[in-house]
Amino acid sequence: MKGRGLGVWAALTLVFLHAPLLVLVLFSFNSSRFTVWEGFSFTWYQAALADPQLAEGLLNSIVIAAFASVIATVIGTLAAYGMWKRPATWLAGTLYLSLLTPEIVTGVSLLALFQWTFRYLNLHLGLYTVIAAHVAFSVAYVMIVVSARLRQYDRSLEEAAMDLGATEWSAFRRVTLPYLAPAVAAAALLALVVSFDDYVITSLVAGVDSETLPMVVYAMARRGVSPILNAVSAFVVVVFGALIVASQRLQES
Amino acid sequence: MTLRSWSLLPVRLVATVLLGAPLGIVLVYSLLTRGDYGGVEFPWTAESFTRLLDPLYLGILWRSLWIATSATVICALAGFPLALFIARSGRWRNLWLQLVLLPFWTSFLVRTYAWIFILRDTGLVNTTLLSLGLIHKPLPLLYNDGAVLAGLVYNYLPFFVLPLYATLERLDGALPEAAADLGAPPWRTLWRVTLPLSKPGIVAGSVLVFVPCLGAYLTPDLLGGGKTVMLGNLVQNQFTSARDWPFGAAVSMVVLLVSALLLAAFLRHRTAQELL
Amino acid sequence: MNRRAFLLTAPALAGCATDARPRLNVFNWSAYIDPAMLQRFERERGVRIRYGTYESNEEMLARVMGGNSGWDVVFPTHNRLTPMAAHGLLAALDHTRLPALRNLGSRFQSPVWDKTLAWAIPYMWNGTGIAYNGAQVSNIDSWGALWRDDLKGRLTMLDDPEDVLGACLLKLGLPFSSTEPAHLAKARAEAIAQKVNLRAYLNADVRDQLVSGDVLAAQLWSTTTAQARAGNPQLRFAWPSEGFPLYCDCAAILKESRHPELAHEFLDFLLRPEVAAANARVAATATANGVGQHSIDPVLYPPDDIYARGFWPPPLPPAAQRLRDRIWTEIKSA
Repeated sequence: MKGRGLGVWAALTLVFLHAPLLVLVLFSFNSSRFTVWEGFSFTWYQAALADPQLAEGLLNSIVIAAFASVIATVIGTLAAYGMWKRPATWLAGTLYLSLLTPEIVTGVSLLALFQWTFRYLNLHLGLYTVIAAHVAFSVAYVMIVVSARLRQYDRSLEEAAMDLGATEWSAFRRVTLPYLAPAVAAAALLALVVSFDDYVITSLVAGVDSETLPMVVYAMARRGVSPILNAVSAFVVVVFGALIVASQRLQES
Repeated sequence: MTLRSWSLLPVRLVATVLLGAPLGIVLVYSLLTRGDYGGVEFPWTAESFTRLLDPLYLGILWRSLWIATSATVICALAGFPLALFIARSGRWRNLWLQLVLLPFWTSFLVRTYAWIFILRDTGLVNTTLLSLGLIHKPLPLLYNDGAVLAGLVYNYLPFFVLPLYATLERLDGALPEAAADLGAPPWRTLWRVTLPLSKPGIVAGSVLVFVPCLGAYLTPDLLGGGKTVMLGNLVQNQFTSARDWPFGAAVSMVVLLVSALLLAAFLRHRTAQELL
Repeated sequence: MNRRAFLLTAPALAGCATDARPRLNVFNWSAYIDPAMLQRFERERGVRIRYGTYESNEEMLARVMGGNSGWDVVFPTHNRLTPMAAHGLLAALDHTRLPALRNLGSRFQSPVWDKTLAWAIPYMWNGTGIAYNGAQVSNIDSWGALWRDDLKGRLTMLDDPEDVLGACLLKLGLPFSSTEPAHLAKARAEAIAQKVNLRAYLNADVRDQLVSGDVLAAQLWSTTTAQARAGNPQLRFAWPSEGFPLYCDCAAILKESRHPELAHEFLDFLLRPEVAAANARVAATATANGVGQHSIDPVLYPPDDIYARGFWPPPLPPAAQRLRDRIWTEIKSA
């Protein structure tokens, strides 16, 4: 009896988590712009495709997320490895804190940094600043995912490789890194998703060439709810869902 | 130079330049005087911090703490049974876990926007209830604290479920069984055995939900219709329309301090460290 | 090229370096220009325009305040010009490069906020009034009507301290831009009394809810109302009897601009009658261009006797700004 109660509760919670997105996706195919179902249509997808700002935002988001996630993955993986070799409490604390800092505070502080230093460097806010900001907040995610896998790693494997004459670097590259590969790939996807999704921090440090998809979506939502948003959202849901399933597969293998 | 010695260099650079330095600048800002049209000016002053003691701002702090606490409690009530169910569901575990995670990985804006779509007068809930004849005029579902809470819980529930699941999964199944063998009724086993043992997961989940809720600004803005002010809105407002950067910086420092204290308390649980 | 060099240069490549033509970066309100006009300028001058949009003056100011935003041309509202100029953000206009200035409407040749047009060119203008659903509520013609009980739960005000406090002050017969603490305290009481009837503080987001009938009355800009009426002909717009603020968004060149000549050319281009008309038509708003006026819609262009009740709010002094912000926070957390 109790087990069934638990199942019902779990099912209800899952419905709570999924219903809003399902509804959103469903109504992206509605031919009416209102919440009344009038018939199936691709109108809003066509409208979304025809919008140059959306296309540009998507392109910027992809470029930014690709660079930020690659850089953050390299730095975060090395960090996890370094801390596994030799604990660094303060560094770890700083990274955990960066995960818990409210986005608005992170964004404002990075904007302050860029405005302050760029005044002397004659540089502009732009893609670089957004990429730097995204690296800053995604390194901690990468470090945590990779650290989790390192905890299950047998130190003696690397030592054995070194006993057999491998340098520390080649032991890392040939033995440790292959073991970490699934976690590194999962971390990279995580960084990609986190970067692609961010609005608050990006909107603060963005410059001329860095209007991202979430910024365009937010501007559209502010101008009024439109089914084009449903279409964009549905697209994002499907792409992200696929990415996440892929990342889960990688982590399991 | 060995790998172990330089592997931490890049992250130290990021932590210093992109995480530490900006917070240092915000701290400096919080101790300066407001410029007339934004920005900061000398002299040094602690006025922004003393201003925080104003009952108006203490009220906002209190309100944010209250909303963040409510959201955390609701997440706990909804999340504990879900995590327990997943931990006990054997080979289906991964499927359930992915189902919990999936919405979390879709865009934050999209998730919040979905709630507007559902809750507005001509939204899904009201349209459905009206067409069923259950109500005769739309219920005011959007733009109140309830909508803000729904949005927060929706956005952060997976943050609670995941660490809790990790704890419950590692929990020795023999203990609850022993309790049951000794004649304890299921609810009592839950209360006296499972719940105390899952404390690290509950603590981790609570911190992960509470802290972002405390600093939330988009959710109260979009779902609350601008009728409520939380700390995040206060910060955002100071840096934009009010053009009072020192005060915005001071509020940021307070939010950060609360987060850091919670983090420190949390990291003292050794088992909690394992979870992150 | 080694991998590291690639990492360093690729964002630049992806971002801009694909084209050698000079580039003008224009930062404007969303939905405030005809995209075809941008293409026309690009074709005529052999340049590229990078066009970005914002939703509020504050958003724009936060970005350009540091003096290294990268934008060349921005469109601040008239009462932000003096503070921006005082902060050293704006470049003075060179009128010899702007022969088309003569096309400006007579009201905008020497406006109160910038008598010599030293900093910016009036671009589009609109006023804050009341949008309401003529089929479902009785006539509204004053700010005072927004405290009526029949609007309970179906009323929104703008999410803007200046406009909300201003409406309260006008209802009380006090000046819209008052800096008197006593006046503002009375306005606060009015705003708090109104809050129980209020659905939300919304800006342009209210448009769809007006169209769908969720919201029956809203403090709103004439431009947004004109756009909403396309979706629901029942919507009406009231220019309140107590008076109302008018806002003019002006094209200005930032001091940080690396292409001031090109920016001047762009401003002069915007002043051409046919360009101004096309932009005003797409934005569904009123142009400051006298020759390029495209419509006689009274929501966009109020007749002279109504226009006479309007005024252009001056910039608020910093001290008043601070007091108003505090009061706004009090209203919001009431």
